Amino acid sequence: MHQVEIATTQETLLDSPEMVLNMGPQHPSTHGVLRVVLKLDGETVIDLDCDIGYLHRGMEKIAENRMYTMIAPYWDRLDYIAAVSNGLVWVETVEQMMGLSVPPRAHYLRTILTELNRIASHLLWLATHALDIGAVTVLLWALREREEILKIFERQFGARLTCHAWRVGGMTNDAYDDFDKDCRQFTKNFPNRLDEYETVLSENRIWLSRTVGIGVISGPEAIAIGLSGPALRGSGVAWDIRKSRPYAAYADIDFDVPLGENGDTYDRYLVRIAEMRQSQRIIDQALDKLPDGPVVAKLPKIVKPPVGDYYHSIEGPKGEIGCYLVSDGSAQPYRVRVRPPSFVNLQALKQMCIGHLVADVVAIIGTLDIVLGEIDR
Amino acid sequence: MLALAPINVLDELLLKFFSQDTINYVIWPLVQIGIVVSLVAFWVAYATYLERKISAFMQARLGPMRVGPWGLLQPIADGLKLLVKEDFIPEKADRWIFFFAPYIAVASAFIVFSVVPFGPDWAVIADVNIGLLLVLAVSSVGVLALILAGWSSNSKYALLGGLRSSAQMVSYEVAMGLSLIGGLMFARTLSLSGIVIAQASDSIWFIVYQPVGFFLFLISGIAENNRAPFDLPEAESELVAGFHTEYSGMRWSLFFMAEYAAMVVVSAVAATLYLGGWYFPFVHRLEEAGYHDLYVIVSLLVFLIKASAILYFYFWLRWTLPRFRYDQLMDIGWKWLIPSALINIALTAIAIFAVQALNGWRGIVTLQAMDRGLNLSATGKIIMFAFGLIGLVITGLLLSRINWRSRDFNLKTQRRNIRLVNLPKGKPAVPAS
Amino acid sequence: MQDKTPKLTLMQKLKRFLMIDLVNGLGLTLKYNLGALFDKDAVAGKGIYTEQYPKVRPDVAPRFHGAPRLNMDPETHDTLCIACNLCAIACPEDCIDVIPMDVEIIVAGKPRKKKVLDEFIFDTSRCMFCALCQEACPTSCLELTQDFELATYSRAGFVWNREMLEQGRETVKYTS
Repeated sequence: MHQVEIATTQETLLDSPEMVLNMGPQHPSTHGVLRVVLKLDGETVIDLDCDIGYLHRGMEKIAENRMYTMIAPYWDRLDYIAAVSNGLVWVETVEQMMGLSVPPRAHYLRTILTELNRIASHLLWLATHALDIGAVTVLLWALREREEILKIFERQFGARLTCHAWRVGGMTNDAYDDFDKDCRQFTKNFPNRLDEYETVLSENRIWLSRTVGIGVISGPEAIAIGLSGPALRGSGVAWDIRKSRPYAAYADIDFDVPLGENGDTYDRYLVRIAEMRQSQRIIDQALDKLPDGPVVAKLPKIVKPPVGDYYHSIEGPKGEIGCYLVSDGSAQPYRVRVRPPSFVNLQALKQMCIGHLVADVVAIIGTLDIVLGEIDR
Repeated sequence: MLALAPINVLDELLLKFFSQDTINYVIWPLVQIGIVVSLVAFWVAYATYLERKISAFMQARLGPMRVGPWGLLQPIADGLKLLVKEDFIPEKADRWIFFFAPYIAVASAFIVFSVVPFGPDWAVIADVNIGLLLVLAVSSVGVLALILAGWSSNSKYALLGGLRSSAQMVSYEVAMGLSLIGGLMFARTLSLSGIVIAQASDSIWFIVYQPVGFFLFLISGIAENNRAPFDLPEAESELVAGFHTEYSGMRWSLFFMAEYAAMVVVSAVAATLYLGGWYFPFVHRLEEAGYHDLYVIVSLLVFLIKASAILYFYFWLRWTLPRFRYDQLMDIGWKWLIPSALINIALTAIAIFAVQALNGWRGIVTLQAMDRGLNLSATGKIIMFAFGLIGLVITGLLLSRINWRSRDFNLKTQRRNIRLVNLPKGKPAVPAS
Repeated sequence: MQDKTPKLTLMQKLKRFLMIDLVNGLGLTLKYNLGALFDKDAVAGKGIYTEQYPKVRPDVAPRFHGAPRLNMDPETHDTLCIACNLCAIACPEDCIDVIPMDVEIIVAGKPRKKKVLDEFIFDTSRCMFCALCQEACPTSCLELTQDFELATYSRAGFVWNREMLEQGRETVKYTS
């Protein structure tokens, strides 16, 4: 546990004008076990420190003692809400390091299911963000949509949340029989549901009062910290790895990237809603263009990438999730390093919160969309 | 305003033991109190059940379904559970104040029902002629309970939460009191029964003349009860859990009941003052036909339905709208509601003056000669209705002038459009298979 | 950050005054409230989405990674397991313990030793249901079924032996 920089002892409440408040690891709004220590002057935040590590499970060290194909289930548990994307980073890193070429059908199925996962992750973000700010009904509605996606995952992969979706070289099973029908039914209903959420939130004056101008970060500052994903695009920086360095089938699919302007919470909210709409568009296109063929490439008996190191990253729902893999030629990796988007995004919390009121801290943590599984690994 | 007990057989039995006066002034009121307290307690308990069911339906789910058919026994199960919990007083807490605070909250919420007119004749416990003042005064005592609870818990967060809650409640009480004055100008009596009779005698609900007043009263009542969208001091995602952090078991459930009872109080007073109370257009014909008791019971049902409709509005607001931040909340109380209430009073006074000047009173010229009641002629009604609408417009204009500098006012309904950019595609990391 | 507010039209001012944005949100929840009573379509409409478990059991997918089971040959009622230990090697969490034994069989007149399964220990408390064992099994003996109700009253109850894996466990199914 690192040394928290704000002194946490205090004699009486009335001694100094500043108060130290601990938003402890167990808290309904910190999205996991995050401890935030706030120094307050009345209700205004003047200093903030994050204490992480409560969910550290030693995943990177465990990976050094497992074979390459056995490490994939551990990646699901990092960002447990976007397990399919996490799995994708790992298998793509190994495949690219080995020079395996994955059949096109597998690429398209990967694209479809990863975009479904992006929608699922953003729905959970919307649900918890709205819950923190007070609109509880949106939580239940968004979880209902998410339930439909999880049913598709269950029928395809066998698990709802931590799917172990991909294998090195493709996937285990081809799309199940009703896959096309289920996905199309989902994408048909989904725009109406998004309109419903927007009816309740986007023009609501209370929502606007709580999110406009809160947690502002400008484009250059965001790049300096290393933000990625919707947090970066909300500040107006046009960077999306699906466009700049396409992976899976994204090179063949036509979609837009939503960009915000002011870098406040409202912009990030609108960016994520627009991203959900674009994801739905991607899924429809990929379903139309889905080629036939095998879904898994031919693999050697034991997966052994050549000696060397490799970094590959994809655009996960929370930002750029990357994998740095160092291989020493044996069946077990020498070093696996996860580049977690939430860990880097969390660094912006202090800058975003200072000067705001205590009630805004909760909104800002929500808008950064952090998952502690990723931050602590 | 005392009426005899309706059941004559029982009456004869009691007359053997007590004098007529004792029955009128002691026994019958005790019976009424018993009925009203159990009715309100039942109403409060099932308000919690209804809240869970209605919020569930709004969220596309079912709510309590297991305890009893359709979950109807859920409040009883909750009550039993809370009764058997450990009675815990924190070590450093101030014992006696900690002990009494929940009782003060519940008592102040229930005492109000002694003046609320549930029905015409014997359905009021005490028709005091300062009824409305009593309602406001006793509700204010409830604030004391919050402060005592927060203080006696001896916990930093409970104290802060309690202070914030009570500051909020006190601010909104000003707005609440002021918003009632508009309706009082018509009824010209503080007695709640008198207000209902004033509406009945003119066959009109005051909401038609005072839409702004109704709206203001409702909003300040919701804020007074610490209900969404004004519930930041006690919301779960807020850092301080509010004044009832250290309370558990039956004590906590008393605060919970006090909150719901206060909600029912505001609903009942709003129904009485603006929605006509127990009055409904054609029900009086029952009285004329001679069915006096049936008339009273139907009026009682009418009143309950109206108050429940407002209670539904409470639940509806809570489960749809996000909550205000504390400074925005205080902003609304002081800078929006109080000016609106004052403008409302001024406009109503002018309106009544105009009605008098334009001969809108039916056959009566001077204000002094008027009975309790309005007796407005058709002209008068039209004038009042017009003033109601004009009041809306003038209030809107003046409020926007007062608050022109407010940041929140300036950003309302500014939905931004996100631009969608089609970025150029880069090279993939590894050439496509 | 003060936004540059564009001039509002009269219609917009009226909408702002009458709080149309809040009214729209309230209207939607009212529709849901009525829909919960009258609408039957929960997936695309406004009906009730709840499945009242345990009265209504969910439809579990055929590929679901649930409780493990050792399949047996339907005719001979012998286990399909050949004690090859591939599942134990494939498991990332070391949940599986395959204990073989040698039996004597006669092959072409000569006595031979054949390895068969003696005991199979599966620790479901460590299992992460990744199905690598199911994929590794060459005879489709180890299979993850659709049973998801794995709770037990003691930690030892999570460790399943061969009999539990073949026959299934005694569980109480609550239906009301």
